[in-house]
Amino acid sequence: MVVVRRTGTLTKAKWEFSRKVAAIGSGKHPSGFFPEKAPLELAMYAIKEALDDAGISKDEIDVTIPESVFVDSMATADMVWSRLIEELGIGKTARHNFQCVSGGSSALSLIKVAAGLITTQQAETVLIVHMDRLGTGATPEFIRDAFGAYGIYEEWEFPYGLNYNLIGSMFANRFMHETGTTLEQLASVIVSLRKWANLNPNALLKRELTVDEVLQSKVVAYPATSRMCNIVVDGASAVIMTSAEKAKKLNTTPVYLEGIGSAVTHFSLMTEPDLTRMAYKRTAMEAYENAGVGPEDIDIVEFYDSYPIFLLMQLEEMGFCERGKAGQFVMDGNTSPGGVLPMTTNGGMLAEGHLGGGGGTSLFAEMVRQLRGKCGSRQVEGARRGILTGIGGQYMDSHVSIWGR
Amino acid sequence: MSAEARKDRAFEERFGIRFTRWGKPFWEGTSEGEFRFQVCGDCGNKMYPARLYCTNCMSSNLQWVKSTGKGRVYTYSIAYEYPPTRVSEFLKTPYIIALVDLEEGIRVMTNIEDCEPEDVSIGMNVAVKFVGISDGFVLPRFQPD
Repeated sequence: MVVVRRTGTLTKAKWEFSRKVAAIGSGKHPSGFFPEKAPLELAMYAIKEALDDAGISKDEIDVTIPESVFVDSMATADMVWSRLIEELGIGKTARHNFQCVSGGSSALSLIKVAAGLITTQQAETVLIVHMDRLGTGATPEFIRDAFGAYGIYEEWEFPYGLNYNLIGSMFANRFMHETGTTLEQLASVIVSLRKWANLNPNALLKRELTVDEVLQSKVVAYPATSRMCNIVVDGASAVIMTSAEKAKKLNTTPVYLEGIGSAVTHFSLMTEPDLTRMAYKRTAMEAYENAGVGPEDIDIVEFYDSYPIFLLMQLEEMGFCERGKAGQFVMDGNTSPGGVLPMTTNGGMLAEGHLGGGGGTSLFAEMVRQLRGKCGSRQVEGARRGILTGIGGQYMDSHVSIWGR
Repeated sequence: MSAEARKDRAFEERFGIRFTRWGKPFWEGTSEGEFRFQVCGDCGNKMYPARLYCTNCMSSNLQWVKSTGKGRVYTYSIAYEYPPTRVSEFLKTPYIIALVDLEEGIRVMTNIEDCEPEDVSIGMNVAVKFVGISDGFVLPRFQPD
């Protein structure tokens, strides 16, 4: 892939903590179906890869922050009660292990917590890890019912048969109604993501699709067809973060956290007044201001997906497209390999596979890999700065982070 | 265990829904053919679903009032595949799920009934109807108005 984007003139970073914390390595167990593997095996594979990628010893990790394991409460308990410290043999030097989770936005929560610990010298080198087995660790009925229950009002929404496919489609219908975006444009998001997945050895759904093929699959939750819905998988990801000071001493390419913006707005769709915008405009503004950059300075966007509508909304609200124009922008190939704005370059949860709360951690690992120039055939040449976003629950929060080499 | 508590437990086991104590006036209302929501007696904030305290001023002086039950569809989707298995006893695919803006300015999650999937649209006028699911559980849904 050869994509060279113009890098704009940077203003001075305003955020005191801009470029004070860095990600120095990432690891990823492929997304797919691995019934023979325990969640811990998936996690340790990703951790080993992240350590090798960073070129550091496991003994340099002083804080471990695992996410929860959605389908396995005992594995979650192991993570809470410091199993990783023992497996890594770092009990003599480690300072802290605790769980951090906010559904799909967990990666952004982890980043903020890790950055806070590092900048206040409560941690030097933090291991972030997510593992889950949504693909084979539970029955299809469990998954169906879980995605119709978690983050959903039991008393006020569940009786109406709400689930996340329907939630995504309620956003999409209102967005299309207000902006004139077409179903074909919405489907083209899948076309773009599949092209990236085709280049990603860790992705599950590698086959490229046309808009017609996306729309001709069976309708699941109108207007979403099955190919516009995500598929749950097994997998794990890990990222290692440390101080800029330490990162500079290592023989590696650090990726610095330059800015971050956050908002959490609701629990249920019933209380979010505008399903076509949410809080991205103000959180992106906060992140841009922190980093001292604007959309013109961004080379890649690792947008949290889960359903196509959210990628279009983010493109518009963060200043990459005018309102109502993101659909055509994607349809014209601008976000695909070779396009001007590579978007969600691992294929996202819609093509790499949905890891539950860990989908965002996989995307974080991808961001680090891209900016470190280690993405193989899907590497975006000249990628120096990227946006990573996270969303959880009923799209309850809008987190935007900016990373630069 | 009181008869009422036994009934609640049986209901929970059958449908997997635990009802809140503070939401009880709502469900009593649906049994009487009323769609109720809360209004804060101190600041006038209107709330749905049921809250313990006012979401604007944290007052506990909350009153239940009756809605006209009329509103418009803000957005919707239609479930064809993979609905939660636990609702299958009282909800068959395809079903329409919608967010409805009531005249009073509150937004509710609901189903639209008596409407073909291809006929539902954003902005359409709808009115509440009350559907008995089981003894003591009357679910408000909406229909074209």
